[in-house]
Amino acid sequence: MVHTKAKVLSKEEVVDNIFKLRFFCPEIASSVAPGQFVHVECGKDKSFILRRPFSVHRQINKDVFEILFQVVGKGTSSLAEMEIGCRLSVIGPLGNGFEVSNDCKSNLLIAGGIGVAPLVFLAEKLLSAEIDFDMLIGCINCKKVIPFELQNNIRDRVYYATDDGSLGFEGTTADLLLEYLRQNGKPSKIFACGPEPMLKRVALIAGQNEISCFLSLEERMACGVGACLSCVCKTKSGYKRVCADGPIFNASDIIWD
Amino acid sequence: MKPNLEVEIAGIKLKNPVMTASGTFGSGFEYSNFVDLSRLGAIVTKGVTLKEQSGNPPPRIHETACGMLNSIGLQNKGVENFITEDLKFLGKFDTPVIVNVAGRTVEEYVKVAEKLSEHDAVKGLELNISCPNVKAGGLAFGSDVEFAIKLTSTVRKATKLPLIVKLSPNVGNIEEIARGVENAGADAVSLINTLLGMAIDIESFEPQLANIVGGLSGPAIKPVAVEMIWRVSNVINIPIIGMGGIANYRDAIEFFLAGASAIAIGTANFTNPEITIKVVEKLEEFLKIKGIKNILDIVGQVKI
Ligand SMILES: Cc1cc2nc3c(=O)[nH]c(=O)nc-3n(C[C@H](O)[C@H](O)[C@H](O)COP(=O)(O)OP(=O)(O)OC[C@H]3O[C@@H](n4cnc5c(N)ncnc54)[C@H](O)[C@@H]3O)c2cc1C
Ligand SMILES: Cc1cc2nc3c(=O)[nH]c(=O)nc-3n(C[C@H](O)[C@H](O)[C@H](O)COP(=O)(O)O)c2cc1C
Ligand code: FES
Repeated sequence: MVHTKAKVLSKEEVVDNIFKLRFFCPEIASSVAPGQFVHVECGKDKSFILRRPFSVHRQINKDVFEILFQVVGKGTSSLAEMEIGCRLSVIGPLGNGFEVSNDCKSNLLIAGGIGVAPLVFLAEKLLSAEIDFDMLIGCINCKKVIPFELQNNIRDRVYYATDDGSLGFEGTTADLLLEYLRQNGKPSKIFACGPEPMLKRVALIAGQNEISCFLSLEERMACGVGACLSCVCKTKSGYKRVCADGPIFNASDIIWD
Repeated sequence: MKPNLEVEIAGIKLKNPVMTASGTFGSGFEYSNFVDLSRLGAIVTKGVTLKEQSGNPPPRIHETACGMLNSIGLQNKGVENFITEDLKFLGKFDTPVIVNVAGRTVEEYVKVAEKLSEHDAVKGLELNISCPNVKAGGLAFGSDVEFAIKLTSTVRKATKLPLIVKLSPNVGNIEEIARGVENAGADAVSLINTLLGMAIDIESFEPQLANIVGGLSGPAIKPVAVEMIWRVSNVINIPIIGMGGIANYRDAIEFFLAGASAIAIGTANFTNPEITIKVVEKLEEFLKIKGIKNILDIVGQVKI
């Protein structure tokens, strides 16, 4: 992990309130793995002092990476106002990342809302390693679908769920997972990222069906590097740091409230 | 000429007066990716207790205007594991290690102090007296002058190590407590620990922290810290380690002027992981520009 400056190369509002920032930052781009995150200084305004964590969304090449984020509060609003060419202080790559193995015959990637961010990076890695996968994506309605690019065309492997049925399956992402399992049988591994209620249900379904399942968790962070013990989640072996022991956890280890 | 940054606190020689604040720097391991630990004045570790402690449930932090609330709840692996893991790592650096000690009873503090005293790598102890005293209905040791004196004098007898007592700002009369622990044998005091605070989520009507209340740190508390250091420095003769919201060398200078002989940096490490070393470098530059030969020449020099 390094602490460095990342230069904003481009900024795009891909859909209402969701932004994509592209950074020039060889120190991080060259070594980051899917599921890892960066801890970003979101503004020069000293009234907020903490960095904000964002998953790496895509590794464009060994010099350039992207993040995809939703504006939800002051940090993300300030980040959305960054101008092209400015340099932000970034710490990364942080966290453990998704573990993929070549012997996994079929992988299922499940994203809820902005949870698609790290899974696109994972999908790209799987594609280049020629490892098979399908992707389930949940969102509120067809207008809220977050567009993303993948180097190869994998549209036929992506299934959508919307609350109102305006795109794909009508229902929640977890409902779509049940439907997927009925039609396709069990994948070797599930990787999921999204809001906590979704992760909780995905974990439950994976457990009941004895599918190995890995989740990307979120907690409020201060240091981001494992020193302050702010960001813990409850696991079967006690409190674990999301920033340093995660953010990817085996779903069967997590103790939900 | 290079200005002299060396200071001696509680008999511990420091190559410069910049230390890490307990709980914000782990045991240095994580930050060794960003700073050369050998260049720090001292490393103050996270709070260590007799037995492993799991800490409070999450959420444990909440960002506030120019600061943050935390309720980590002293999560640590206990003194034995601290010695075999953290201390072993820290022993490799040419920087004094000061261990922050916490407990629920006087006996627990004593046992931790005794165990740590057996190890040469430990150069001093910092007693966190903001912990609740379970034998006194959970009232913090540091909030009552009698408790604070009893704790300090008992630990004093149990160790030959330099003893620093870390004062809580959540008290009626901090001078009285400072004087009390000085008389009870403290070699130095450090202040301030975090200020008690609370924040509420207006959507859910629930507290922002699972623990309901937490400790406020960061730039928001700096003027409170400066005032308390100034006030305490007027009534005690032992050195003061100042902390509370220091985010750059200018903040640090204020603390020296108010009466601190060394300073510690906490929350600012989260904003900039290299801040400690940057403050060391900038302090030196400042003294040079001002033609001040020794950092000690500005300690307590606020003109009233
Ligand atoms: C490992 C990790 C990866 C993430 N990846 C992404 C991503 O790729 N895209 C994206 O849009 N979001 C991501 N998030 C969530 C993102 O960090 C928050 O949305 C962001 O911190 C909100 O900041 P704010 O100032 O706008 O919101 P505010 O609500 O004003 O933030 C207040 C405080 O709470 C913290 N906070 C608020 N929401 C979250 C949250 N969900 N998780 C952690 N801390 C939070 C903030 O960091 C800040 O300290 C990730 C979180 C984690 C932990
Ligand atoms: C996350 C966090 C954990 C802390 N843990 C401890 C601790 O274990 N023991 C202690 O004496 N003080 C602890 N503190 C208090 C700091 O050492 C320091 O006194 C306080 O934060 C004020 O300094 P700052 O504003 O520079 O952070 C902690 C502070 C924070 C923010
Ligand atoms: S944010 Fe400090 S340990 Fe995770």
